[in-house]
Amino acid sequence: MTTTSALFPRARIPYGTWGSSYFPAWQTSALAEVNIGQFAGEAMARILSLRRVPTSALEYLVIGSTIPWHWKFWTAPLVASCMGRRIPGFHLEQACATGLQAVLVGAAEIEAGAKDVVGVLTFDRTSDSPVGVFPERRAHQRTHAIADVWDNFGFDPATGRAMLAAAGLTARKYKVDRREVDDIAFHRYEQYFRAKDSGFLNRVLVPLDLLNVGGRPLGRIDEDKGVKRISLGSLRAQRELDTCVTSGTQTHASDGMATLLVTTREKARELSARPEIDIRLIGKSEVRCEPSHMPEAPAFAVQRLLQRAGLTMNDIAVAKNHNPFAVNDAVFTKVTGHDWRKLNQTGCPLVWGHPQGPTLTRVTIEALEEAVDLGGGYVLVFGCAAGDVGIAALFEVRDGGTR
Amino acid sequence: MSQATTVKSMRQPTLETLGLGGILDIFRRGALPADAAALVDRVFGPRGERGSLVISGASGIVGAGKAMQLGARLAPHGVRVVALDFPGAPDGIGRQYPGLVEALGRDGAARVMSNIVRLTYDGKTLPEELKALRPRFLLEAVPEILEVKLAHYAVFRAAFPGIEIRSVTSGFPASRLGVGIAHPAFPHEINKMWEVVEDKPSDVTQLLWALGMIPLPVADNWSFVLDVLFCGVTHAGLRHHRRTNMPFWKADKLVRKLVGANPFRAHDVIGAKGANFLTWSCLHHLAKEYGAVFEPTPELTERKETGQPWYPLDHFRPLVDWTLSPAEQEEFRVAILGPLFQMTSLMLHEKRGHLSHLNSIGETCAQFRHGILAMLREVGAEKAKQTVAAYHATHPEAAKQAWYPEAFDHMDTPEWQQLYVNAEHDGTVGVVTLSRESYGWDVDRELNRALDWLKAAGIRRVILTHDFHLATQLVGADTADFFPALSSAAAGFEVSSAWTRTARRLWSDFDASVGFIGGKRCLGGMYELLMHCHHVVAVDDVRIGFPEVGLPVVPGMEGCHWPLRRAATEHWPKVMHALLSGTAVRGKDCVGWFVDAAAPMDEALRTTWALASGTASGPARRPLAAGPLVGLPTSVSGLAAADDPLVETGRAAILDCVTRTCAVSAADAVDLQSRISADFLASKPARDGRVGAEFYRVMGA
Repeated sequence: MTTTSALFPRARIPYGTWGSSYFPAWQTSALAEVNIGQFAGEAMARILSLRRVPTSALEYLVIGSTIPWHWKFWTAPLVASCMGRRIPGFHLEQACATGLQAVLVGAAEIEAGAKDVVGVLTFDRTSDSPVGVFPERRAHQRTHAIADVWDNFGFDPATGRAMLAAAGLTARKYKVDRREVDDIAFHRYEQYFRAKDSGFLNRVLVPLDLLNVGGRPLGRIDEDKGVKRISLGSLRAQRELDTCVTSGTQTHASDGMATLLVTTREKARELSARPEIDIRLIGKSEVRCEPSHMPEAPAFAVQRLLQRAGLTMNDIAVAKNHNPFAVNDAVFTKVTGHDWRKLNQTGCPLVWGHPQGPTLTRVTIEALEEAVDLGGGYVLVFGCAAGDVGIAALFEVRDGGTR
Repeated sequence: MSQATTVKSMRQPTLETLGLGGILDIFRRGALPADAAALVDRVFGPRGERGSLVISGASGIVGAGKAMQLGARLAPHGVRVVALDFPGAPDGIGRQYPGLVEALGRDGAARVMSNIVRLTYDGKTLPEELKALRPRFLLEAVPEILEVKLAHYAVFRAAFPGIEIRSVTSGFPASRLGVGIAHPAFPHEINKMWEVVEDKPSDVTQLLWALGMIPLPVADNWSFVLDVLFCGVTHAGLRHHRRTNMPFWKADKLVRKLVGANPFRAHDVIGAKGANFLTWSCLHHLAKEYGAVFEPTPELTERKETGQPWYPLDHFRPLVDWTLSPAEQEEFRVAILGPLFQMTSLMLHEKRGHLSHLNSIGETCAQFRHGILAMLREVGAEKAKQTVAAYHATHPEAAKQAWYPEAFDHMDTPEWQQLYVNAEHDGTVGVVTLSRESYGWDVDRELNRALDWLKAAGIRRVILTHDFHLATQLVGADTADFFPALSSAAAGFEVSSAWTRTARRLWSDFDASVGFIGGKRCLGGMYELLMHCHHVVAVDDVRIGFPEVGLPVVPGMEGCHWPLRRAATEHWPKVMHALLSGTAVRGKDCVGWFVDAAAPMDEALRTTWALASGTASGPARRPLAAGPLVGLPTSVSGLAAADDPLVETGRAAILDCVTRTCAVSAADAVDLQSRISADFLASKPARDGRVGAEFYRVMGA
């Protein structure tokens, strides 16, 4: 393996202190009924408890979410209070890149030397998204009301195009074959269910029981609800919404949270159940591609990141991405020459859904867990965001050892 | 019979710790051991020279509560209550008025309030007007700062030499304060328990008893039994939170399920600002004295300043539940019981008080479902030690100090085994005393042991009564013991039939048995127990009844047929009305059917003794109709329709039980009643009713 220097040499991700909720599809679970910020804070405390990490170890909290939630104004300190800790912190958002950016910012906090243990907590609820009412004095309507999730998905103000249109445009640009896109989607489902059946997901996803205001059971969040086994034939039969884009070859909106810790090396050893595992952040990159060509942006980000790190895709042990469209993976192969079959061995957002904020955090957690299973190596996490943004990050897992 | 006859007892009667002798002597004497009027004279001076009670810090939670409680009791004796506080103290007295009106009515409340003289002072110089009020007794409830308290006593002693002083302190020992202690339990307006520290039982303590309070002598140590238990269980929850992130609300609910107490909710209800400080102060001092087992956690230290409540605010009601794995449940059990057991070992080692006191304080004041010693006894010494050892594995510092495992080595003694039931006898007549207000498995087992003890001593005549101390009323069955029966008719049958077997012993095992009802009320299962005595004697104004219909449950200790078998037919409608309405009747209004005699206290005591000892004539024993009863009324006049359909369901079930159990012989009715009662407990109406609601509230966490 080629060795390279770390972007944040002081920062570590303590193995096994992470966790994510399942991501039930939009409007299918009790998560549709809750304040997602409160849920995330309380769920993080529970996940850390199961990981044997006292929340008293946390010094700072970086939260990431993209959809306004009740009392969002109070940001991370409020979410920390829901966790039972009065620690400082802040909120960030970068559309679908939020879940990875929050990890990077958490590492930067450690690198700056200000903190030894930073909690990263990302969450979103696409169900019942709020509607913002904006005075627009120069518009003839004078006032615009925007449903946060669907109106933004459907309209990139910079280009006037929908996200879905970006997938179609990019598919046409790269002359992507619809049959290959269906094959990719089918393969991704196979990967997901293989990981699920193997018990892999049980190591990163935590079932959570919800209560109503009366303290009675409201529901149990214990599956990526809405994800069903799918046949290639049914994928092929689906109507195209745009070039190479069908309902089966794109992700779906969902609700959920995910969390991990970023710490110093010493704290990582103290907090992890397997202190011999060392997880470093090697590098990151962010790019913008042509307007409304979002599916190509991650490939460019990866190319730049690997170039800077002096690595190639052959050096990567685990590669996993946020792929809202199967087109993303097809384009990735066309740009990098890397076989899409080698990506996402344990599932990906194309299958298990996209609650936005936590999506790339869960991708990261699953990728790191998979790398530990493989005995270590470089872990590449990447994804697209907001019409034309690509983000990629490279981690290194050492001394993992197989289970 | 000679009054000098030696009385033997299973263990020391708790009343004796107040210098008031045993229970058998009360009946032999035909009078209570202390008289409030005489004690008021001794403490406050005779009428004409009557002095006053001063409560300093009277606007605080304790001071204001005690001003109401003592004021209401002392007003009839002409003792004025001086409520003293700083000029800027928020009005704690005025806030009590609505509660006082509710308890005593508008006129009664006005009488109490007009007897209170409110004065302010600057903390250094006492107001001139105080002299005219002749302070004789100071109840100090000023802030928990030693220097402030000592200076306060000095001011009073200088102005009023010889004044009796008691501190309500939550933690300082009497040796540090230089005054006796009367430490009351929350809620201060109604809780009658006071932990008292003094060299020997004083007039003040006996006066508290005579006024209907429950003083409990304890040893002079840092913090009191209640504080150790209550702060201790809070502390255990806090430590578990710190280790596992478990939210306070969840720890609170799981503590309730495990022990019965709601430590965090209680802090919020009392007022987090003050309660957090008191708990911190208590633990802080205990930690300095006894080490890490009491060391406050940072969460408590922070909240002592901020007064932040433990439960989330309403708009953040808990959302993510904590469903514990079996391993986590065990971890929680150890985390809570481990330190509690260790703290109890310390209190036992220090001989802090009569074991029944230690046990009762947890139950009556800290909401423990079973007293701490009853819990330990149930667990057993070895498992208790293992629990503490498991706790020490997670908190090694706690093992270094204040751990006395040998304190659990004598659980087979009567002091441990008879926490709730005692027995005394003079060689001829025995008295069995109940120290618990509700009947449960613990009481049942102890009662059987007490009856065995008397029988082994050849005692054939027995009185069954409350203990004139810890139990001031007998409220019925402990419905927590019904919880298993909500889902298992077999469990319900076991409760009903076993408790009935015990009750029947009062009828069959003795030549003469007399139930004495002398507290405020005797209801439900407790009356079912006492009704099995050959005679029942009540004080005039006690309330007797069957509240089961309101829960609803079906009486399980023969309440549906036994009173009818022992009542003349003309009383049957009254018995039926009581059963189906749940309305309690006064002792003097149920002579001939619920009781055999009712009279003022002293006369009732004498009647009881006459019947028990056979030394004088009393009312004839009402016979038991052993065969099927004929001619029972099928409806009851004057029975108002119930608002609640559950009550109607309960009525129908009780009526059905009456009809069926009275249609068979008394012998056959035992199992039949138990089966009907058990079936109803396992039915939906019982689960939907108060027992089911309580089960969900307590065990649903």
